[in-house]
This record gives sequence, structure tokens and C-alpha cells, in this order.
Amino acid sequence: MSGFLEWATHGVKRGRLEFRSRPMVVLTVIVVVLALVAAVYLMLVSRTAAQGRRIEQLQTEIFRLQRENEQLTVEIAEVTSVLQLKERAAALGFATPERLEFLSISE
Amino acid sequence: MAEGPRRRLALLITLLAGCAVLTVAQLIKVQIVDHRFYAHWAEEQWIRAIRMDQPPRGVIRDRDGCLLAGNGVRYAIEASPAYVIDHHEAAKELASVLHMPASHLEAQLSSRDDNGELRKWIRVSQSVSKEVGEQVADLKIRGVTVKPLWRREYPERHLASHTLGFATSETGYYGVEGFYDAMLQPEPVEWVGPVDVASAPVPWEPIAGEFPRRGVDLELTVDRTVQALVEAELERALQEYQAASGTIIVMEPETFGILAMTSLPSYDPEEYPRFLDEDPVPFEDPAVSKQYEPGSVFKMVTVAAALDAGVVREDSVYHDEGWIEVGGQAIHNSMRKVYGDQSVADILVESLNVGSAWLSTRLGADLFYEYVQGFGFGDVTGVDLAGEVPGQLWLPEDIEHWHPSNLGTNAFGQGIAVTPLQMTVAAATVANDGARLRPHVVRRRIASDGSVSTYQAVFEEQVIDPETAQTVTDILVRVVEEGATEAKVAGYRVAGKTGTAQIPIPGGYHPEDTIANFVGFGPVPDPKVVVLIKLDRPQSSEWASHTAAPTFSRIMVQLFTVLGIPPAGGELAAEVGS
Repeated sequence: MSGFLEWATHGVKRGRLEFRSRPMVVLTVIVVVLALVAAVYLMLVSRTAAQGRRIEQLQTEIFRLQRENEQLTVEIAEVTSVLQLKERAAALGFATPERLEFLSISE
Repeated sequence: MAEGPRRRLALLITLLAGCAVLTVAQLIKVQIVDHRFYAHWAEEQWIRAIRMDQPPRGVIRDRDGCLLAGNGVRYAIEASPAYVIDHHEAAKELASVLHMPASHLEAQLSSRDDNGELRKWIRVSQSVSKEVGEQVADLKIRGVTVKPLWRREYPERHLASHTLGFATSETGYYGVEGFYDAMLQPEPVEWVGPVDVASAPVPWEPIAGEFPRRGVDLELTVDRTVQALVEAELERALQEYQAASGTIIVMEPETFGILAMTSLPSYDPEEYPRFLDEDPVPFEDPAVSKQYEPGSVFKMVTVAAALDAGVVREDSVYHDEGWIEVGGQAIHNSMRKVYGDQSVADILVESLNVGSAWLSTRLGADLFYEYVQGFGFGDVTGVDLAGEVPGQLWLPEDIEHWHPSNLGTNAFGQGIAVTPLQMTVAAATVANDGARLRPHVVRRRIASDGSVSTYQAVFEEQVIDPETAQTVTDILVRVVEEGATEAKVAGYRVAGKTGTAQIPIPGGYHPEDTIANFVGFGPVPDPKVVVLIKLDRPQSSEWASHTAAPTFSRIMVQLFTVLGIPPAGGELAAEVGS
């Protein structure tokens, strides 16, 4: 060891890195599984969020259509109200019959 | 390795390990020991309970499905001044749509709270039409929002207003709206979850829970065509006979379902705030909430009771001396007439007060009041309308109010107060072979999931035998054909009884004003409708036979036409206008 290296490392020798194949395989598998779980989790969360947004939009649309339907129902009822029908019938020249006759059917 | 570096390395490792231990300890404290505290703190900041959009109130339809009460859409215009970028420009744009002064709007949009900061929320306009609301939304002004609101609307306006009642955005009042409010009004649904700064749900998870359901829809027994013709006839009667107010009820005797019910003066339920200052406010339904002394129409109850109890027969004769003493009080006939020998049937045909009092004394107080209560007087009928009153019936056990003379006066409808509906129910009981059912207005309920509940008739009491009911009906036909002839309907046999009732005032009765009423049914022998006419203080004539009776006739003619009821024994072949 040169003088500089000894000064820099305080004379501590660099250890030799030894790989043991079995623990490394286990560690790699764990990392890969965890990564897969995380990916699946993220995918599910994002899909759930997207579906949640879609449901919210559909609910908003339901409420909008509900309002539209109710309003149209009232408007239809207004133009077919008794008062309106009376006025329109009178304008068309119809009149309330003053007398009715019931004819009996003899056998 | 030299001793010095080894020691420094050990020291460094110890320090780092200590830091790691401290960090882990803090993590354990935050994540495990104080977990609840921090979780609650976080939730407080971003979890909110939001009331979901309110679904509509249940609608009310007539028996043919015609809408009587529905839901229109209005918009409230709201703003968050703190989020509005250009207050001047926003006010100018809003003014062009809302037709409000731009300066006023700008002042609103620039308003500040007590701390001098721009307000977080203001309401620019309480309620604008759907079109205006949509125009404001289209402007897309940042910080300005439109909030949809439901507004109860009544497309037929005044039609059946007393029966329907009215509703604010929160509650129904009077009539069907009041009685069925809990059913009509939808349950508010709250959603609890994460929200953004504008309190809009953040869909990190699907919105779970119940979707808001609309209120229950109601289908009435009321027929709007019948209702309209009855209202027109009541208006005509009030004008023709110069009456102050009036009520008409049309009921089916087979089911006791109310086909039409109207009172004047009435109101437009959509414009109810306009009537709040009137005295009295016209919201109460006089048909169920106002009581009156019925007068001679009540004699049908007395005669029915006496015949059913068997104390007399239709042809039993009594001698009418023009007066009778009951409980120490002399009771006279109208105009103090003396009739001599009269049959029980004549008591109704001639409308004899003395004869009625004679019958009630023959019955005795216990039996007489048992029948009176059996016909439904002195208690609410149980009709599904808000605000029904029981009327006023003093019984012998009410020692503070009842006097022995009441037995005589009650027999011809004095000293007893009834509602128009009670009187109609009594007549319907006679028309329905003596069986009293519970009157009702709603015949079907349709829930938001489409399930339908149909009204089942409620049998109350077999008040009189069917044979007695038939006998009373025959006498009432004679009343129309021989007495109140203005109630006759060409081609049909109808039954009925007039009543000209005095109006009680402190210390006695009003010297001039009367209440004219008529209750009848037809066609006999298979009655399809019972009709009650009540006219308050008619000025053209004090007698019901000249006011209420002809009104009854006119209504019956139209009812038979509209409902397609041919004359008894005939078959409808054709309708020919003259």
C-alpha cells in the first residue's frame, strides 16, 4: 500500500466482496414481487379513481336529466291544463253542450 | 488498523445508530402510538360530509294521471368573491344576463368580511329561471356558481288548491302536501369522503352508499275534469246568489273516494307567499277544517236513526201541533207552521223541526247520539288531508255543555257543528246501503323503485241496515220530487235534502244571514255520486231550495254526462247536443 493510500484509508484494508448465490436470489425475488405488488396496487388505485370520477360524472348527468325531465313534465302539464284546453277549444269554436239525450236501445 | 481511526469509526457508527434509533422511535410514536390523533387530524382537513343533490319531491296526479303538482327547476346564483379574478368584468357580464345593475353586482362581488378579506361566499340571486341559470353557467365566470333548486309548481294553478295544499322547498303544508309530506319529500343523502378545496368529492374511491331517491308519487281519487266543472259551478253560484263563500264536495259512495272538492275563495298554491298577508289566510281547507251548523240536512240522520232503531216506521203518523217542548225549550217548525197529522216520511219531505225533535225524543238521548256518532259526527273522518277538525258534538255526559233541549235541537241540525266532509260522509253512508267507509283522497302511491301501493277501502261501521238505507233513500227521492224540486235532474231519480242553517253568533243566531246547503246523491237506485253544496250567506234568497238545490241539479247533469252515467234502466246509446 502506497503512503498516500495508507493515509487515505487509515491503513484499513478493503474487504473482499463475496457473493453468495442463494441469498441473492431470494433477495431479488422479494424485490421483484414487491415491485409487482406495488405496480398492481398503483394500477388498481388509478383505475378506481378513474371509475370514481366516471360514476361522479354519471351521477351529475342523472341529476341533470332528472331536472330536465321534471321541468318538461311540468311544461307539458301546463299546456294541457284544463284552463288551456278550455281556451283552445273555445278558440276552435267548440262549446259546452247545453243538453244531452240518451237513447235507449230496445231489445 | 490504527487505534485512532478505529475509535472514530466506532463513534460514528454509534452516533448514526443512535440517530436511527431515534428516528425509528419517532416513527413508531407517530405511526403507532399517536396514530389515531394524526389520522383524525388529517381526516378533519380533507374528509367532509356533503349533502348530495336533492332529488325531486314526489309528484301528485289526478286519477287519470294528469299532473296536479310537479317540480320545476330554478337556479340560485352564488359566488366566492375571493376567487373572482376581475370583479368589474364579472359584474358586467352577470348584469347582462340577470338584468341587475352592474354597480350593485360589483359591490356584492367585492364585498369583504369583518377582517377586511374578500368574502368566501355570497348569494347573488335567490332564484332565477332555468334559462337564466343556464346562461349564467355558460358565462363560465371563475368564482361564480349556479346551484339548481327545485320549485314546487302547480300546472293547473287554482284547481283543487285546498285539496293539494302547497309546498316550500323543504316542507308541505295543508291538504295532501301537508298530510303526505314525509312521504313526498325525499330523504336527504349525505356522502362522506375526501374533498378538494372547493368541497367537490375527490374520487379516490367509488362513491359508495345510497343514491338519493325521489319522493313517493301520489295518484289521487280526484278527477280534474270533475274538479274543474265543480269549481266553475261554485263560482257561478257565488255570483248568482251573491254568496260570500262556499264549498262543494263530490264523492263516490261505493269507495268514499273524493272525486272533487273545492272551496271559494281559494288561492294559487304556486304563489302562496302573496296570500300570507290576507286575513284570514285562505290556506285552510273549509271542507275539512271549518265547521258549521248543518240545519235541516241533518234530519236525514235523525230519520234514518229512528227507522233503523225500529221506534217508528216510514208510514208512522204523529200529530204536528207546530211546536214541541224538549228539555224545557219550545221547538217550532220553520215559519211556525202547523202541519197536523204527518208521516215520518213527511218529516223529511216537509222538513219539519217538530217531527225531527219528536223522533229524537222517541229514540232517547243514548240511542240518538249513538247513531249520530255512528254516522261519523263528533270525530274526524280520518280523511288523508291535513288540518281536519272533528266538529262539535256535545253528549249527555258533557254536563257543562249539553242541555236536555239539545236532544230536540240537534235532531234538526242546530246546536251541533259539522264539517262539510262529515255531512257528505253521512249522506254517502245512506247511499252505500248504510255502510260507512273512511273517506280518502289518495288512491295509489308509487315509490321511486316503481312499486305501487293501492288504497284499500277502510270499513268503519255498518251504521244502519241496507233496508233502512233504501227506505231513507226513497224518502229523499220524494224530497227532491215533491219538496226541493229545483234539485231535480231530468231523466234521473236523485235523492237529497236541503238545509237552511242559521249562523250562530254570541247570544243567539244572526238575524239575517244563513248557510244554504244541500246534500244528495244519484242516480237512484244505484248511486254513483254524492254531492254536497254549501253556500255561505247567500243574498239573493235565504232558502237553500232556491240556491243550493239548483246548483246541485246543474252539477248532477254535468256529472252524469262527464262520468257517462245513463238514466236508470236505460243504456247509453248516443249523446246528442240540442
